[in-house]
Amino acid sequence: MAIGRSVPMLDAPARVTGTVDYMINLRLPDMLVGKVVRSQSPHAKLLKVDVSQALHVPGVVAILTGPDLGANALYGASIKDQAVVALDRVRYVGEPIAAIAAESMDAAEEAAMLLDIEYEELPAVFDALEAVQTGAPILHEKYTDNIFIHSKLRHSDMETAFAEADEIFEDVFTSPLAQQSSLEPHVTAARWEGDHLTVWTGSQAPFMVRRVLSEILGIPQESVRIIVPPLGGAYGGKGHIRIEPLVAVMARKTGGRPVKFVLSRAEEFVTVTKHAASITLKTGVKRDGTFTARQVTIYWNGGAYADASPLLVPQGMVRSVGPYRIPAVRVDSYGIYTNLPPAGAYRGAMSSQATWAYESQMDIIARRMGWDPLEFRLKNLYVSGDRFATGETLHDVHFIECLQAAAGAMPAGPSPEVNKEKKVGRGYGVMMKSTVSTSKSQARVKLDDSGVATLFTSTVEMGQGAHTAMAQITAGALDIPFEQVRVVGPDTSVTPFDSTTSASRSTNMMGNAVLAAGAAMKRRLIDLAGPLLEIPGEELRAEGGRVLTKDASISYADILKRNGLPSLEELGEYSTALTMDPETGQGISTPHWHQGAGAAEVEVDTETGKITILRYAAASFAGRVVNPRLAQLQNDGNVIFGLGPALMEEMALDGGQVTNPNLADYPIPSIRDVPLELISVCIESEEGELHGIGEMTLPPVAPAIANAVEDAVGVRIKDLPITAEKVLHALQERLKP
Amino acid sequence: MSIKFLEPSDFPEAAASLAEHGDEAKIIAGGVSVTLMLQQKLIAPPVLVSLGRIAGGDSIRQSSDGLHIGALAKLRNLEQSSVVQEWCPALAHAFRVVGNVRVRNQATIGGNLSAADYAADPPAMLIALGASAQVFGPDGKREVPLGEFFLGFYTTALRPTEILTGIIVPPLPTSARASYHKFSSISAEGRPCLAVGAVADFDADGRCRDLQIAIGAAVETPQRVDTAEAMARGESLTDELIAAIAEEYAQALDPLTDVRGSAWYRREMIRVFVGRVLKEVRDGNR
Repeated sequence: MAIGRSVPMLDAPARVTGTVDYMINLRLPDMLVGKVVRSQSPHAKLLKVDVSQALHVPGVVAILTGPDLGANALYGASIKDQAVVALDRVRYVGEPIAAIAAESMDAAEEAAMLLDIEYEELPAVFDALEAVQTGAPILHEKYTDNIFIHSKLRHSDMETAFAEADEIFEDVFTSPLAQQSSLEPHVTAARWEGDHLTVWTGSQAPFMVRRVLSEILGIPQESVRIIVPPLGGAYGGKGHIRIEPLVAVMARKTGGRPVKFVLSRAEEFVTVTKHAASITLKTGVKRDGTFTARQVTIYWNGGAYADASPLLVPQGMVRSVGPYRIPAVRVDSYGIYTNLPPAGAYRGAMSSQATWAYESQMDIIARRMGWDPLEFRLKNLYVSGDRFATGETLHDVHFIECLQAAAGAMPAGPSPEVNKEKKVGRGYGVMMKSTVSTSKSQARVKLDDSGVATLFTSTVEMGQGAHTAMAQITAGALDIPFEQVRVVGPDTSVTPFDSTTSASRSTNMMGNAVLAAGAAMKRRLIDLAGPLLEIPGEELRAEGGRVLTKDASISYADILKRNGLPSLEELGEYSTALTMDPETGQGISTPHWHQGAGAAEVEVDTETGKITILRYAAASFAGRVVNPRLAQLQNDGNVIFGLGPALMEEMALDGGQVTNPNLADYPIPSIRDVPLELISVCIESEEGELHGIGEMTLPPVAPAIANAVEDAVGVRIKDLPITAEKVLHALQERLKP
Repeated sequence: MSIKFLEPSDFPEAAASLAEHGDEAKIIAGGVSVTLMLQQKLIAPPVLVSLGRIAGGDSIRQSSDGLHIGALAKLRNLEQSSVVQEWCPALAHAFRVVGNVRVRNQATIGGNLSAADYAADPPAMLIALGASAQVFGPDGKREVPLGEFFLGFYTTALRPTEILTGIIVPPLPTSARASYHKFSSISAEGRPCLAVGAVADFDADGRCRDLQIAIGAAVETPQRVDTAEAMARGESLTDELIAAIAEEYAQALDPLTDVRGSAWYRREMIRVFVGRVLKEVRDGNR
């Protein structure tokens, strides 16, 4: 059986030897290079963008500016507030003002310096809490309080519930602006042939790109073709729409010559970010260790344009409540405009910020009330059949197993003391994350008369091993050897529809679509085999690459050959459509829940504040594991990735300008930052539903570490990242009278 | 705007290229710093003078007057060199903790020092060891103590037409012990928040005959504090004296603030790591 085997990742040799056809290697005949000219002001009226000098630079073919844009210049996931290039105003440092297509980067850069741009500076605001104050600069006139979305969850009477509490805890937890930092930057190329557009792009959502480009360009979706080569990482940063509109519109001005844009590392930091967030949690508990109520207020810093935030802020609302039985819940989740680059999904989207808050507060409560943090969690974690704050009933719930697996991987007994400077402590974190509520995946399976199956899927391979998992599921669905499966990746003219490769939805959604296609294929094969075997179809089954009964059998290949069919194709589809009441957040928020937990043992140097992760155990609920080795690597990768926001990552800003837009000054975890011991557990269930696991063990990392730090040295850090400096500062503050 | 790439075969030819192209030329050795600056558009030199083809420019040898290291020696070769390891294990350590192995395979010691990036490891150790820079220019050779080599952020005592050709590390008394501490406040592969290089010589009674401690990465240029070093001379390095010397270092220096730590934090770390490094040289752990 191909499902459940640790087959090697299909493109691992190519990735290791550098032969993957990444976007950056794409060369098209007559291709031009593109360069973006960006705003140097955080907020200004554009008085002049004069390209006349720049156009004279030899090698410059075309320059795109605001006046080139047509009537549909504005786009956005649901609020169309962003122009392909700035029209008459810029709202963040780095906003595209113009784009240049040239024969060489030298020519493009020379032209960029000759662009004559005049600004009239406007007051700017960078902090979300300041942006909602009266008198703050307004970014978009339609939203005079800078709040572009307010998601509400209302569940039971808060006043009564808080009145029943013996203690009420109120804490504020913050997460800073951060960047997804995939090693491959955003790269997009576009070519027009008449009214037909082809775009090659490193995107997580090719069909979304196709739809938005068709809207902006005023051409039918069938006239837009999106091709997605393998990605060098994405982490949410290549979700939704990024530079594709700019590249497509630029290419319309080059007389049919293709143009390719490769963003620099510095440009990455102004193209998409992780929402900075301030989360206030007010929680009522009783002395018996149960909850009465929780009120959550979240300010998501969306940056200058709404972008994907109108989709993410409601998800952030659902993801902010936590995995514990709390009878009364109220959440206000605000998306706020500021003069910063637009924010989007960042692996563990919105859950990372939210889990940081609710899992930190769990330990604050437990310690103040004199309870064991682990026992307090186990007592209150949801189990199957419980009702969530949205009113929906929870199924296939495994939080307790996840937490016990992670905690159980720690050595028995209390943490040993090392010496007087170094203290050891333990902490835990649990995460509950929704996935996309409404989405669709289609998969097409082609079986040819040699017995080889080809899966056509728009799931994006970005290093996570999705195509390997899909090939295994295809092999499992058809019951043929894994080696007989080929995968064709996203090309909207070739592969069927898929909403997006994000929110850890693909193994579940696309996996089920593949299973459906495989089941349909088996039925077809049985129908075709019946007359050949002269046995009624209902007595036949498809197994091991053959259609058979106990007396007779025929291979899939022979079924096709003897029917004169070079190949057979079947389409499978899987979709969900769930809704919540916009005023109360009541309804069904997700087809299933992502569940993960972590346990950290840390050593804190009390003289420097430096944290060393001695041991980390990560457990995720995986439903039914498709590939144990790749699943473990996802679990491990989540933890290592999670060390970034936990301990390191923070974009430094000066007047809205990013001052550390490079990986020397913006550190991300390196191999030497990996915990000394890293343990991974995947929990499976009897139901055996396929689950995604791309994020589950990430959000618990930061609170588990902060909780371990408090366990070790008694200080509580509420603002990410947990730097050595913050820990030392807190240690010294504690010693003051 | 394409860059002219020159590859002289010896230092006189390289110096002649610099003289010919003046401000337009920039030297490139391993390319670690120069490439970063090019990528970030901090420099845009029309001419790059590459030292990569200068034969023997990467030699590592010892002689009676000290350890001679060619400017083109890669940090990776230096950390692995048995000559360096035997000469001074702490110096080999200071090379080994730079960035990651991919960086060290490319970075040269000459480039590391000439770039004068304050967030570097080797300078503090080399200054504590009393090393000198060998410089070649139109007027011939000269030697500059490394303690006088760094003038400010990305600024050295090299004149525009001069090239760093190597360094000399003077012999250490057999009774001396050295130690280097890199403190990374954030990522393990990150640049140092603080660099501390220390060399102490002891008499037969275990009293400190001489002490040099250089602080790097926390300050604009690597610094020694004479008053603090003087406190050790002729004394036993008791815990109390070590604390006093560490305090003197913390108070005498003016640390900077960047993403790796505030001035406050760096002052605290200077105190902690001067103390730790002194205990190491006293106790002979390295």
